[in-house]
Amino acid sequence: MSNKPATNAEVKEEPVKVNKWDGCAVKNALDDAVKSAMQRKFDYQENYALMDGRLAMCSIAVGVAMFAMLWDYLYPFPQSKPVLIICVSSYFFLMGLLTLYTTFKEKGIFVVSVQKDPAGFKPDNTWEASSYLKKYDDKYQLVMSCKDGRTGYLSEASLTKSVASYFDSNGELLQDLLDTDVLKVHNQALSGLKHE
Amino acid sequence: MLQGALDDVKRMNKRQFLYQVLSFGMIVSSALMIWKGLMVVTGSESPIVVVLSGSMEPAFHRGDLLFLTNYQDEPVRVGEIVVFKVEGRDIPIVHRVLKLHEKENGTVKFLTKGDNNSVDDRGLYAPGQLWLTKKDVVGRARGFLPYVGMVTIYMNEYPKFKYAVLACLGLYVLVHRE
Repeated sequence: MSNKPATNAEVKEEPVKVNKWDGCAVKNALDDAVKSAMQRKFDYQENYALMDGRLAMCSIAVGVAMFAMLWDYLYPFPQSKPVLIICVSSYFFLMGLLTLYTTFKEKGIFVVSVQKDPAGFKPDNTWEASSYLKKYDDKYQLVMSCKDGRTGYLSEASLTKSVASYFDSNGELLQDLLDTDVLKVHNQALSGLKHE
Repeated sequence: MLQGALDDVKRMNKRQFLYQVLSFGMIVSSALMIWKGLMVVTGSESPIVVVLSGSMEPAFHRGDLLFLTNYQDEPVRVGEIVVFKVEGRDIPIVHRVLKLHEKENGTVKFLTKGDNNSVDDRGLYAPGQLWLTKKDVVGRARGFLPYVGMVTIYMNEYPKFKYAVLACLGLYVLVHRE
């Protein structure tokens, strides 16, 4: 875990190395690398609202459970029943809400950034990057979408490539190759926006 | 493998790390809430218990898992198997109701005995206690699952093993991303 943002030099010094047979680790490493590419290549501001929403829901759920435990400890069972009913039902309701949130709202989106208009006239454009990697499959699909703040037009571009093209045989991530592809998808989405 | 997983953790930013901790918390919370939910549904403070002794053989054996309910409006009757707590004992006891006295106003006092024991339970009760009342009851046996509870018994007999298993599982969940 690193609290301070990794600078360019640090990223170069310590290449990301993963267990290349672990699909989850590979996808996470690629997602993080796409995110870092977006941070380095473009002057966009990252918007954490989507992830913060999920974190807030999780925290509330865990808080409710802890509260139920504490209450049950302070007021042993038959007394604590009404509170337990409320806590249990709201906990499972929150779990359902969380599932809906991750499947319908997040949908694999791992970074949202805001592109400010340099002149400050137009509303901000919103960039979203999502990725899909099926279990036991090597095809990594990267989707980048840009929503024009003014017209509301959504321009999307995607690229599907084998994960093998971004990792060497030791499982080391080849950030440069990925950067190139991120740039390509980004520009494709951007040109889609301009042609509109 | 562990090294790779640790590297994954090291690379997380603070949001990802927080989510990792929270998802660990949610696994623990889900188990806790399912247990509390069962408590509410069955009305028993301990809806599932493990039989620890052979005193109810041949009905229940050591290691059987019992499912209990404790609805206040269902009267206790002779012949039913109840789980009760005795002051000064940590572990609840599973035995059959042998004698029962019921008053007009519905209050009951009853005596229990293990099917496999030669005497009734008065010797097990708190000193001077002759009868059990409704407040001593944890629940009544409604269903059982044989042998499953042996896992719990072994775990409690070898606490080090239990903590080792728990620590391994906990570490795996904390370190493994998604």
